[in-house]
Amino acid sequence: MQIINAIFALFYREYKITFRNFSDILAILLFFILGILIFVFSIGSNNEIFNQIGIGVIWTLLLLSNNLSLKKFYHDDFNDGSIIVMHMGGLSYELIVLIKIITTWIFVQCPFFLIIPIAAILLDIQINNIIYILVSFLIGSPILTSIASIAGSMNLLNNRNFTIGSLIIMVLSIPVIIFSVGIVNEAADLIKAQLNILLGILLLFLAITPWVSAVCIKLALQNK
Amino acid sequence: MLLVNNLSFKRNNNIIFHNISFSVGSKKIIHLTGKNGSGKTTLIKLLAQILLPSQGDIFWNGKKIKKNIFDFYKNTSLIMDTHSANLNLTIGENIFFWKKLSSSSINIKETNAILELLLLKQYINTPVGYLSRGEIKKLELSRLILEQKKLWVLDEPYSGLDESTIKLVNETFINHIDNSGMIVLSSHYLPQINNFESINLENYADY
Repeated sequence: MQIINAIFALFYREYKITFRNFSDILAILLFFILGILIFVFSIGSNNEIFNQIGIGVIWTLLLLSNNLSLKKFYHDDFNDGSIIVMHMGGLSYELIVLIKIITTWIFVQCPFFLIIPIAAILLDIQINNIIYILVSFLIGSPILTSIASIAGSMNLLNNRNFTIGSLIIMVLSIPVIIFSVGIVNEAADLIKAQLNILLGILLLFLAITPWVSAVCIKLALQNK
Repeated sequence: MLLVNNLSFKRNNNIIFHNISFSVGSKKIIHLTGKNGSGKTTLIKLLAQILLPSQGDIFWNGKKIKKNIFDFYKNTSLIMDTHSANLNLTIGENIFFWKKLSSSSINIKETNAILELLLLKQYINTPVGYLSRGEIKKLELSRLILEQKKLWVLDEPYSGLDESTIKLVNETFINHIDNSGMIVLSSHYLPQINNFESINLENYADY
């Protein structure tokens, strides 16, 4: 019973911290919308081009905004030692990582479900393609959060260079981008296959992320 | 009861200390001293299994804590030199989190009494980031009472505290010892408590 209490306590804490820093989330959303607008201004008003590259633009910016949430992951809890307090409360590091991934997905990625249709309208993407984008984002966003968790925990090992975490995110996100953009661009009979591959990637990342991040956190605590 | 058996720690081939053995039974205080860099914090991290010893074992109630780590954690409160209260949350929210995390049975009346004693009651709805360093340290020490654990492991509990709070902390320690608790603490400052056992880590350094 103690562990369930502890899990709910951690969820509640993350929720409180996120809403106390609500401007962080707004900044991430604003970055996404402004990025879309910059693409619109730089390419011009040719609808033909937007129909071809619009989805790619949206996914690229989703990836870049995912970079911004990187620091939220473990940095504060690691530096003030509260991650040790959580661990001593009976939560293994793997479980802490899993809870962090779930809360970050809910509080940082879910608002994008509202923003993506607006961005799609700005880029003049057809309505039924918007649904495909949302479906691919539903599967792709937990993968992006998992990747951010891996990069965030690896970053604890090196305090000097924060850019390396962003590089790790970029490299690991390549398969996600390929298959999620592919869903919309491919012929209709290939959509199911692409979704299956994307789901496979999701399951793979959900399986390995807690262990990888937990090992990184343990190593970082030993070298602190 | 905590038993430390022939503990050694090496980092980058530098021996920080070797062959430390001591035991902490109920009603006992272990006071770790030594100059800067003699390994006080390292030993405390070893006790909490954040670092792993290069040699030797630590036992809790006759079992190796490496294998029964959560059994050990269930009986241990650890206060490091950092403040683990989240700066964005208020005092009340931090206390609520610690209480739920350790499934402590302490009620609101008692927590209010603790905060009143530490002169923090008026700030209960203030984010911790607005408090001074000493006040954050006091809040951190209140975790000892909130968690209601048997073994207290503290790193420099007196740093940054004023005279009256140090007196209060010492009284709390004596109270805990009388309730058959155990304490391991490191500090340069000699605690004003009777019958504690001092361990000078400089004697275990290898030159």
